[in-house]
Amino acid sequence: MTDTRALQAREKHDLEGEGTRPGATFRPDIDILERPDGYVIYADLPGADEGSVDVRFEGGTLTLDARLATLPEDSWRPLHTEYRLGTYHREFRLSENIDSGNVSARMRNGVLELHLPKSIAIQPRAIPVQAG
Amino acid sequence: MAQYSLYRRPWSAEPTSPFDQLRREMDALFNRFGNAPERWSGIPHGVFPAVNLYETADTYILTAELPGVAPDDIQVSLEGSTVTLQGERKIAYDDQEETSLHRRERQAGSFRRAFELPAVIDAEKVEAVHRNGVLMLRLPKTPEHQPRQITVQAS
Repeated sequence: MTDTRALQAREKHDLEGEGTRPGATFRPDIDILERPDGYVIYADLPGADEGSVDVRFEGGTLTLDARLATLPEDSWRPLHTEYRLGTYHREFRLSENIDSGNVSARMRNGVLELHLPKSIAIQPRAIPVQAG
Repeated sequence: MAQYSLYRRPWSAEPTSPFDQLRREMDALFNRFGNAPERWSGIPHGVFPAVNLYETADTYILTAELPGVAPDDIQVSLEGSTVTLQGERKIAYDDQEETSLHRRERQAGSFRRAFELPAVIDAEKVEAVHRNGVLMLRLPKTPEHQPRQITVQAS
């Protein structure tokens, strides 16, 4: 699943209605895939590392928070700014039938990859039909 | 389908005229196919990656957000004071059967941008680090472009 057309950067999405958060908070771009045995979520979190990402799954809602692992040094004078710096936040509802004890996450090149297995009870199963 | 919005400088409230937009689009077109470096005064439209440029007394620091791009898929080149970034962002899922895509916001594709820096760079001392999906280039100014302390002598 790759294509080769020219990429375009998108302006970061500001979160609205999040007045309690200091500084800018952005909504990261995500992909959500569903497989028979679970969901896979990818989230673009440039600048975040393993230690700065927080993932929670509670009551059917997946909450994703991340902050930047490093910030520009104070001595750097900005000459040109195309992207803004801030934290990331996103939440979305998923099926409650997630095996929350077996959720796994990894960071690679600023992308979070989350694996959320479905509970065994709801995975599709082949029911053998026996001859009568 | 994804929507692309214009970058707007946060400190600028001026509306953009259709001519500005046309000029930006032409710039982007020429930059994609030619070698013309971008003007720093322009507001980028539909270009990837987004970059920030910083300066210290002796160095320029260029950062670019390239999440999901492997270091091997980024080429950085320098000619005089022009830095070129190019590469490809690949998004490849395991091709499994019975995989359905519920949401797709992340984009794949190739990119190329060239930037003219305000001064000549000491090419031998350029450092490039790609960490957490952010490329950081340290581009030291040549000694003649660095500020010098002039000692004032008593007559």
